[in-house]
Amino acid sequence: MRLRFPMLIAAAVVVAVALVAAGCGSGDKKGAAGDGGAKSQVLKMAWGAEPPSLDPGLATDTTSSNVLLNIMDPLVRLGDDLQPVAALAESWDVDGKVVTFHLRDDGRWTNGDPVTAQDFEYSWKRTLDPKLAADYAYQLYGIVGAEAYNNAKPAQAAKLRDKVAVKALDDRTLRVTLTSAQPWFVQQMAHHSFLAVHKPTVEKHGTKWTEPRNIVTNGAFKLAGWKHDASITLVKNADWRNADDVALDRVEGRIIVDGTTRVQAFEAGEVDALDGGGLPPADMARLKQMPEYEKYPALGTYYYGFNLKNIPDVNQRRAMAFAIDRQSIIDNVAQADQIPATGMVPQGMPGFDVIKQDFLPTSADLDKAKEFMAKAEDPKRKITLFHNDAPGHKEVAVAVQAMWKDIGIDVTIKAQEWAQYLEVLGPPPSDAVYVYRLGWIGDYVDPMNFLELWTSKSGNNNTRFASPAYDRLIAQARDTADDHDRYELYRQAEAMLTGPQGEMPISPIYWYTYTNLERESVKDTFNINLLDQFDLSKVVIKEV
Amino acid sequence: MAAYIIRRVVWTVPVVLLVIFMTFTLMKQIEGNPFRKTERAVPAAVQANLERKFNLNKPWYVQYAQYVKGVATGDLGPSLVLRDRTVNDIVEEQFPRSIELGLLAFGWAVLLGVPAGVLAAMRPNSRFDYGSMLFSNVGFALPNFLVATLLIYFVSVKWGMLPTSGWTTWQHKILPSFTLGLVPMAYFARLVRGTMLETLQQDYVRTAKAKGLRRRRVLTVHVLRNSLIPVVTAAAPLLGYIITGSFIVENIFAVPGIGRYYVTAVSARDYSVVMGLTVLLSIIVIAANLVVDILYGILDPRTREART
Amino acid sequence: MSATQIAGRVAGVDAGAPIRQSSLWQDAWRRYLRNRGAVAAGILFLLIVVWCIVVPIVSPHDPNRIEFPDAYQGPSWSHPFGTDQFGRDLFTRAALGGRISIGIGFGATLAILLIGVAYGAISGFVGGKLDNALMRFLDALYGLPYLPFAILALAIIGTVNFWTMVVALSVASWFITARVVRGQIMTLKENDYVRAAYAVGVRWYMILGRHLLPNTLGVLVITIFLELPGVILGEAFLSFLGLGINPPDASWGSMAQDGRDAYRAHPHIIIIPSLAIATLVLCANFIADGLRDALDPRTKET
Repeated sequence: MRLRFPMLIAAAVVVAVALVAAGCGSGDKKGAAGDGGAKSQVLKMAWGAEPPSLDPGLATDTTSSNVLLNIMDPLVRLGDDLQPVAALAESWDVDGKVVTFHLRDDGRWTNGDPVTAQDFEYSWKRTLDPKLAADYAYQLYGIVGAEAYNNAKPAQAAKLRDKVAVKALDDRTLRVTLTSAQPWFVQQMAHHSFLAVHKPTVEKHGTKWTEPRNIVTNGAFKLAGWKHDASITLVKNADWRNADDVALDRVEGRIIVDGTTRVQAFEAGEVDALDGGGLPPADMARLKQMPEYEKYPALGTYYYGFNLKNIPDVNQRRAMAFAIDRQSIIDNVAQADQIPATGMVPQGMPGFDVIKQDFLPTSADLDKAKEFMAKAEDPKRKITLFHNDAPGHKEVAVAVQAMWKDIGIDVTIKAQEWAQYLEVLGPPPSDAVYVYRLGWIGDYVDPMNFLELWTSKSGNNNTRFASPAYDRLIAQARDTADDHDRYELYRQAEAMLTGPQGEMPISPIYWYTYTNLERESVKDTFNINLLDQFDLSKVVIKEV
Repeated sequence: MAAYIIRRVVWTVPVVLLVIFMTFTLMKQIEGNPFRKTERAVPAAVQANLERKFNLNKPWYVQYAQYVKGVATGDLGPSLVLRDRTVNDIVEEQFPRSIELGLLAFGWAVLLGVPAGVLAAMRPNSRFDYGSMLFSNVGFALPNFLVATLLIYFVSVKWGMLPTSGWTTWQHKILPSFTLGLVPMAYFARLVRGTMLETLQQDYVRTAKAKGLRRRRVLTVHVLRNSLIPVVTAAAPLLGYIITGSFIVENIFAVPGIGRYYVTAVSARDYSVVMGLTVLLSIIVIAANLVVDILYGILDPRTREART
Repeated sequence: MSATQIAGRVAGVDAGAPIRQSSLWQDAWRRYLRNRGAVAAGILFLLIVVWCIVVPIVSPHDPNRIEFPDAYQGPSWSHPFGTDQFGRDLFTRAALGGRISIGIGFGATLAILLIGVAYGAISGFVGGKLDNALMRFLDALYGLPYLPFAILALAIIGTVNFWTMVVALSVASWFITARVVRGQIMTLKENDYVRAAYAVGVRWYMILGRHLLPNTLGVLVITIFLELPGVILGEAFLSFLGLGINPPDASWGSMAQDGRDAYRAHPHIIIIPSLAIATLVLCANFIADGLRDALDPRTKET
């Protein structure tokens, strides 16, 4: 080995300079692809996570759901007013508990096979199959026989499978029988759990059927590439039933988990839109000034729950709910133009105008809060507030801690990581918990989705609030098909929670918004709906 | 020598088993339900189906035995969270990217750190010496998330010279590997400077000089070669650093390696992935130590005596 | 393994070189004082510690008081380091954060020393087969990254506070210290006076307690300052990954993490705690270098 020093160093310097120079060069090229103009319909976007699964039966998260809803055709989509709009189903009849969907005749799988009602029957029963062990099987529990089959021991599985009341009457007619009226069932078809899968593909490739080389889909886009944890590439499906209306040729997606890294990629011009997965709260004040900033209302409620065992006096709970300055938390902490929440059911939900309560203040009402506190019997002055350690919650907790100090309550904040946090919350919650924070994002468009959480048997009721009267109201609403009557029942239920006479097991803080960054060339056509879904088939890149 | 190697190899087996057992036991201590990912409660039937599917309903010793058997046959099991993939899939697709990141970081260290150390040693107490040692000290001390943040802001966002994040073209790879390479770079600069200064004092170098060999030749033939031996053996301790650093760097630069996914997997209670990655990382470190020790034994017979 | 542990290897500490017997601490002190860099580092280190202790006591600002109108101020006379998103004074909070960071640093370092000394002393003192077995394990585990095990440890404990952080940072970081201590004891055991002590029948615990352990003290003092930066950076890494300690308390690491998301508009929030970490680490490295040169002049670099 004969090394010559100056040469070695010279070589090192040359290489280093070359690297930097090449780096500079790349900068010039980078602009070109982004400014392709109106001709190139290629959208570059950032996805907020690696999809855990692109199997409609197994997917549970927002990212998977949004990829799926763009490569698969649901029976029904949600219109701007959240009413069902025909998609793969051209029409449907609702007769009490029986819903019949009529499929279009031009639905095609990407291998040329027609999309049939049998595909849906197969797919839904597959999702309920105990052997598939789908996390979201319970989304289908509204169908007669579904829960029993999902719960089946291996020996009875085959028999119970046939009892699931979903039936393809012919290639284009699908009949479903429900356990109760469930007026929201047709809207539920817009959820990814109700998509169809291609039976031969699933059976041939097993768990690997979702890889781009194997997958067969039936939507506006095809999955052209999926580099795990790195990128997702979609290309236009030229054979799709409405392909003529789809402008985009390609969607080049990068997976960027870290919020700040996502924003940087956007600002450097590497991506044209984010997926609405959230902007870093600490940077919101600056981002809101940008012309590319966009916000959408969401069906979601951010709330603090009380453990009724530890804070048994309703007046103390009212005092605490009144001392929270919701508007200040939104303006100074959360900063994403959320709406101060005065009830569990969020603004934008059908029936909201009937259901809403205006007992809770949007800004702190310290006088009232102190009044309530004075009425409280043996108020608890040293309490523990639990939150999970995801970004943003700590800041809200610190703010609330300071607000409750004003009514003489000394708060200890405890952060826990998510999985452990859920264990602590129960139900029933651990005795260490006095107050906890959670949020609820709607699965489907009906207040039921938010109000049934507080029934005494609900797995999501971590407050120990248990009221037979409340349970009866919810059960009654489940069987009330008439919207007007149902909303009235919901109003009574909401009043039992957050109304003037309510038990106040929770203190809602704000109703969520989705915030996003979108280049002005796509801002008009890239839209996120109330359930956090976006339809890429509607996106057009225009010249600006 | 052969006896030493054999003894050394044989000892790694119980250590690997111990690491697997420790990781397995640790994972079992962690509370939390891998199947409850959102606030939505999981119905009992769904929970039971999932536990059956992933064998979590079996007693722990059966699970442990199955796991050890799996590791022995190179099967790390299915991921509990990424349902379309097995741990092997994840390792096969994402681990090479982490290795590439580590090697590139190592490359920066050799490319810039070694020459800096050599130059510093050739002119001790010169301005260059102080400069490179100052750089080395600062390189050690600055938290890599600050370095990464500043690099991305200036190089990518402000000047638009390199992409902010990702791992596709070689331009994407410069900033993450440089950030990760900073500490090894500082380390090499110090290490090479130190060993070179020491070698320059050795008798044989003085003799060579006395014999009238040209300075350059003395430096290249004798000094540098001897000084590079510790650089080779430094690979093992650096490996640990690079693994640790990659957790942060992969996160900030959105590098789709395994370091980034580790943290996610622990919080998602993806037991099989956490186990698989921990065991894999440990085995790599253990293997690297083994190789370095054996190399060292060959290069420097004295250590063999001292260590056995 | 951390950067500074690597530095330890550069420094030659784990070569098992015994610190000079004479234990002339005064000599060492004099030598240390001659090293200008180390003295400056020592003084700066002390200043930082004093600042962390004193400022929260005398500061006019309540470090946890929320004043939204004062949010995100740049450095000024009344707020030398500016304020954070809640309008809290960062000068005071940085001092409080320093208490926690340095506290965790020393806590974890002491834990590492305790485990390391116990393991190393047993191995080195008992010798023979046990030593062989214990050392083979160390050989294999050497360089095992502490971060995955720290993350696992935190997940098991569930809540992150001062003590859980200490546990997490020491649980897989003691391998090198153990090896160093063992090396020291092995070498010391061969000394004539130890052999003499054995020969005249002094009990083993007396030998260990009176002759062997005290003579490893020099190495241990160096080790404290070698481990400290690694632990402080480790705490910062964990905080950065979202595993930091509970609010309203903050360490430098968790303050920097808060600052990263806002760095475009308010860069001081990430830069100040990061520079505090860097300064402390730098000081500790210089102190370790100075101590090594002072206590073990044989390995002194030119």
